Amino acid sequence: MKYWLAGFSALVGFFPVYAQNKINYIEYDLPNGIHVILHEEHATPIVAVSVLYHVGSKNENPTRTGFAHFFEHLLFEGSQNIERGEYSKLVEKNGGTLNANTSQDRTYYYEILPSNQLELGLWLESERMLHAKVENVGIETQRSVVKEEKRQRVDNQPYASFISEMFQRAFPKHPYRWVPIGSMEHLDAAQEKDYVQFYQDFYVPANATLSIAGDIPLEQTKKWIELYFGSIPSGQAINLYRNQLALSDDAFKTKYGVAKTEVNTKNPKLGTNKAGNELYAKLSATPTVIPRTTKDNDPLKQTIEDTIYDNIQLPAVFMGYKIPDQKHPDAYALEFMNEILSGGNSSRINKNLVEKQQIATYASSFNYGLEDGGMNIFLALAKDQASMGSLKSAFDAQIEAIKNELITEEEYQSVLNKFEKQVIEANSSVAGIAESLADNHVYFGSAARVNQMLDLYRKVTRADIQRVAKTYLNNNARVILYYLPKEK
Amino acid sequence: MKFLLSFVLLGALGLVHGQLDRSIMPQPAPAPQIQIKPTETWTTANGITVILSENHKLPKVSFDLTLGSGATMEGEKAGLSELAGSLVMSGTSNRSKDQLDKEIDFLGASLSASASNVYLSVLTKHLDQGLSLMADVTKNASFPEDEFKRIADQLRSGMVSLKSEASGMAGNATVKVNFPKHPYGEVMTFTTLDAITLSDVKEFYRSHYTPQGAYLVIVGDINRAQAEKMINTYFGTWQGPKPIITEYKDPVKSNGNQVYFVNKPGAVQSVIQVSFPIPMRMGNQDQLAMSVLNDVFGGSGFGTRLMQNLREDKAFTYGCYSGLNNQDLGGWISISGNFRNAVTDSAIQEIISELNRLLNETITTPELELTKAVKNGSFARSLERPQTIARFAYNISKYKFPEDYYRNYLQRLESIDAAELSRVAKTYIKPNNYNIVVVGNESVLEKIKAFDSDGKVTKLDEFGDVKLDRTPADMGVNDVLEKYVLAMTQSTTLAQAQKKIGKVKNVLQKASLSSDKIPFPLKSFDLYTSTGVRAERIEFNGTVAQNKYYDGMTGFEKNMQTGKTPFDDNKMKAAKLEKALIPEMDWMKTENATVVSMMGIEQENKKEYYVIRVSTDPQNESLHYYEKGTFLKWKTVKTVVNKEESFNAITEYSDYRAVKGLMFPYQSVLNAGSMTFTQKIDEILVNGKVNVAEFQ
Repeated sequence: MKYWLAGFSALVGFFPVYAQNKINYIEYDLPNGIHVILHEEHATPIVAVSVLYHVGSKNENPTRTGFAHFFEHLLFEGSQNIERGEYSKLVEKNGGTLNANTSQDRTYYYEILPSNQLELGLWLESERMLHAKVENVGIETQRSVVKEEKRQRVDNQPYASFISEMFQRAFPKHPYRWVPIGSMEHLDAAQEKDYVQFYQDFYVPANATLSIAGDIPLEQTKKWIELYFGSIPSGQAINLYRNQLALSDDAFKTKYGVAKTEVNTKNPKLGTNKAGNELYAKLSATPTVIPRTTKDNDPLKQTIEDTIYDNIQLPAVFMGYKIPDQKHPDAYALEFMNEILSGGNSSRINKNLVEKQQIATYASSFNYGLEDGGMNIFLALAKDQASMGSLKSAFDAQIEAIKNELITEEEYQSVLNKFEKQVIEANSSVAGIAESLADNHVYFGSAARVNQMLDLYRKVTRADIQRVAKTYLNNNARVILYYLPKEK
Repeated sequence: MKFLLSFVLLGALGLVHGQLDRSIMPQPAPAPQIQIKPTETWTTANGITVILSENHKLPKVSFDLTLGSGATMEGEKAGLSELAGSLVMSGTSNRSKDQLDKEIDFLGASLSASASNVYLSVLTKHLDQGLSLMADVTKNASFPEDEFKRIADQLRSGMVSLKSEASGMAGNATVKVNFPKHPYGEVMTFTTLDAITLSDVKEFYRSHYTPQGAYLVIVGDINRAQAEKMINTYFGTWQGPKPIITEYKDPVKSNGNQVYFVNKPGAVQSVIQVSFPIPMRMGNQDQLAMSVLNDVFGGSGFGTRLMQNLREDKAFTYGCYSGLNNQDLGGWISISGNFRNAVTDSAIQEIISELNRLLNETITTPELELTKAVKNGSFARSLERPQTIARFAYNISKYKFPEDYYRNYLQRLESIDAAELSRVAKTYIKPNNYNIVVVGNESVLEKIKAFDSDGKVTKLDEFGDVKLDRTPADMGVNDVLEKYVLAMTQSTTLAQAQKKIGKVKNVLQKASLSSDKIPFPLKSFDLYTSTGVRAERIEFNGTVAQNKYYDGMTGFEKNMQTGKTPFDDNKMKAAKLEKALIPEMDWMKTENATVVSMMGIEQENKKEYYVIRVSTDPQNESLHYYEKGTFLKWKTVKTVVNKEESFNAITEYSDYRAVKGLMFPYQSVLNAGSMTFTQKIDEILVNGKVNVAEFQ
C-alpha cells in the first residue's frame, strides 16, 4: 500500500544485507510457473505469506508511468470473491497485518498472520493473483489516494525528490529515469483497458514468487499451495479465464473465435466442447512473455550540475555517480567503500564533515543498486552558513583519499565486523526472511545467497575497494544537485 | 470402514483441482498457544535490578540500562538533562570521543546513551569488549569543553528552525499548558540553554548515573551465570548516590476549554492539538481499557472515528489521530492533525463533538470487536521480538503490573466490554475541559475565539511561553524617533543632527552578503545621495544580480530573470519614506503623522523595545523596534500581504559603529521565510566619488 520511498529515514538502514545463521528452506516450481519458497520455524506462532511479482516501474510504458505502484494499491480493492474494501479488514479481523511496496524492479505483497490463519493468507493471495477487481470504481478511488500519498510522501517530504532528480539525469534513456510514484497526469489519462492490460501482462503465475516463512506445517502447506495456486491456469489460459469473466459474449467470441459457453476455464478437465478444450490447451501452453528491460551500466559522459528549489530549511548537496547493477561483482566492494566513508560515527565523512569541520548537520554516502544499474550517492545537509562549495570540496577530498590510498587494515576489519552483525540481525523476523528469500531468488537467481552473504563480503580485498573507488567515482562524470529552499 | 472412508477422501482430493470453491473463505486451524517465555529477575549488591530474557536464536546480546532517577524540574536550566544526555558519549577519562567511536564501530556494535539510559547491542563473541565500552561511558564520561560547545550549538540551531516547524511548536505548547509546574511542562529556550554550564552537566551525570535503582535489561544469547559474571566484572564496583525521585501531583484541569494560539505567519494549514491531562500513570489498572477506547476513537489506521469523520467523510485532513500517553509522572491524551485554514474551526468543532460522543454513546459491537482483534494480533506478533518479553518483565517490576498481566493479557482484553469503556470514558474525560492549541496563520484567530470558555485566546511563542501583549508606551512617536536620530548622529539636539546630516553629500556602503542558501558569495552596494537618490545593487561574481533605484521621480527594480519593473504607486509612496539617510527624520514630519504610529512597548529576550508602525497602504506594514535606553534600532519586521498569504521579512541590526560621526549597523541579518542573509559591512565611504549610473 505504501510506495517504497527511499527518503531520509530509509537511508539509515539502507544496505540490503542478508543472513549468515543458516536459513533452512525448500523451493520448487509449480507447473504454471509460480516459484515457491518455504521456510519453517516454530519459535513464534505466526506466519508471513508473501508474493513477489517481478514487475516494477521500469516495466512501465513511458507515457503511463506510476502503473506498477498504482497496481499495488488497486490490488487491495477486492476480487471476484472479496468485496471492495474487505481485503484488509479480513486480515485485521483475523489478527493479522498486511502491506505492500513497489520499487523500480518489483512489487511485493505480504500478510503476517497468526499461524492458524495460514490458509486464509494463501486464499487471499491467490484471489489477488487470479481475479482481482481491475475496474473503474476502484481505479477512481485509488487515484485520489495515490495523489494524497504523493503529496504527503514526496511533495511535502524534504529532499524526497532527490532520487527522481538524480536518476533522470543519470539514466536519460533507461526507464529508471522515472520513479515508482510516476506521473499523476499519466494515471489520470489512463483508461480502464490500460489497467486491465497491465494486469494481464505482468500479474501471471510465471512472474510470481510465493515465499512463506514461519510456524507452518510443511506438508499441509504444500497441499494448500497446490490447491490455491496450483489450480491457477498457466500460460495465456489465465487471461482466457479473466476475459471470460470480464468481456461481453461478443467481445469474447471476436477475440478467441469461440463462445464463452464453449470454454470451461474453471475446470478445464470437465470441458465438453472440443474447440473450447483445444483453445484452453493451446493457451495453457502459450507462455506470457514478460517484456524485460536491458541493463544500463554505461558511464556518464560528463558532469551535470543543477540547482533544485524545494520546501526545505537546510540547503543540501547531493552527488551521484553511476555504478553497475546490483548483481555485478563490484557491488560488494562498493558497499564496503560506503561503509568506510559513512558507516557509523567513526566513519570518514561523519568525522570530517559533521564533527571536525562542522559544515554539515548530516552527511552520508550509500550505494543504490538496482537490477539494471545503480548509483552511488553522497549527500550532506549544510550547517549554519556553510557554503555548498565547501560541502562539495569536503566530499571531493574524501573521495580523493579513498582513491589514492588503501584503506587501513583496521578499517577493513571494522567494516567486516559490522557486516557480520548486520547479516546476523537481518534474519530476526519471519517477515524479513520471507522477503530476503524471494529477493535473492528473483534478483540473484538463487535463494541460497541468503546464506552466503558474509563469504561474499569476505572476498572483497582492500585493493578491490580502492579499485572500485577509482573506477566509479569519476569526478568528471557525475550528477551534482544543490538543494536550496524555495522562496515563499 | 474407516480405511474406505479415507480412501474416498483421498480420491476427492485428487479431483479437487479446479473444483476448489474459492467463494468460501477458509476457516482457521485451532488457535495456537501463545507462550511468553520466562524471564529471570534479580538484584545486584550495588542496587541494579537485572532482567534477563534468554534467546539463543541469534548470536547477539543487548544490554539496556535505565537509570533509577525520575524526571525533575530544571527551572531556569530547562534542557539540562537533554544536553547532558547528548554528551555522555563524548569521551571518557580513558578514551577520546574519536577513540570511542572507532572502538564501537570496530566491533560493529551499537552503543548509545541519553540522560536516563545506556544501550548496547553486540555480537556474543564481542561481549567483553562491548561491555567494557558501555561500562566506560556509564562510569567515566569526561565531558570535554569543545564537545559541550558543539552540542549546545547544535541544540541552538534546532531552536532557530523551531519557528518554521508547526508541529514542534504545537508540541511545546501542549506540554506547557497541560503540565504547569511539572517536569513534563518544561521546554528548553535560548535563555535556559545559555544558563547551563559544563559543571551543571558534570553534576547531572554524577547524581543521575548511579547503580542504585537502575534496571539492566539483558536480551539474547547469554545465560544467567554468564550474565552475573559479566555484570560483576563491569558494573560490580560501580557506586553512586541514591536516585533522585521527586513526587509531582497529577495536574488537575478544571478551567473549561482553553484556546492557545501560536502564530506562524503565512501558514496555509493549522496544526490543531486538543489535549487534556488524565490521572493515569504507567501501570494504572484502567490502562488497557483506556487504550482500547483510544484505539476505537483515533488510535491508528483508517477505521477510527476521527479518521472516518474528519478524513473519509469531511476531507478536512490527510490524517487525525489521538494519542494516549501513560508515563511515570503523569498521563495525557492529545488529538492532533493538520487542517487547512478554512476548516480550522469546523475541525475543532468535530473533534470536540467526537470526544463528547465517547461520553454520551456506547461503543458499538463491530467497533469493539475489530479493535480487539487488531490488538490481539499485534500482541501475538510482538512476541517475535525478545525485547518485547523483556519489556513485559520490566513493566511488571517497575510499574507493579500484576504478575500475570501479560500471561493473561488476551483474556483481559477479551473481557473488556462496552460498559467498561463507558466507565473509563466517564472517569477520565471531562466534557468541555480541553486545551486547544492552534498553530497557524493569524487569519484563523477570530474563528477560534468562540471555543474558549471565557472567549480569550492566550497567545504563546514557539517555546509555549505566554507572549506578553504590548504595554502602552511612556513616550510619543516623535519622542522616540528623535532619540533615535540623536543616537544615530551622536548629537544632543535635532538642529545639531540636521547640521551633521546636511554635510553628507553621499554615502556608499559596501558589504558582503552570505546566505546558507546560496553557494556563491554576494556583494551588496547601498547608495545614498543628498540629491534624493537611494539605490541598492547586488552582485555575484562581478555581475549585477539585481538592483533597486529611487530618485523621487522614478523608481524601479531590476533583476537578471525578470528584467526591469517600475514601482507602482504604493511602492513609490513606500520608497519616499525610506529615501532619507536616516528615514526617521522624515517620519517625524506632520505630513506623515497618519502613516507612522506608536504601538507600545514589547518585551523580548528580557529587553524592552518601543515598537513603531509604518504603513503606507493596507498591503504593506513595517514594525520598527527601538531599544529602550540606547534607542538604537534592533529590528524591522516587514509584512507583505499577497492575496491569502502573508509574508514576513525580519531584519536584525547589530555591531553599530561610528563613521564620520554617524552610526551604522555593521551587521544585519535578514530572515525572510526560510531564507537567511547575513550582511557584513566591508567599507563605508562618505562623500567619496560615486557613479549613480551603476545603479540604474
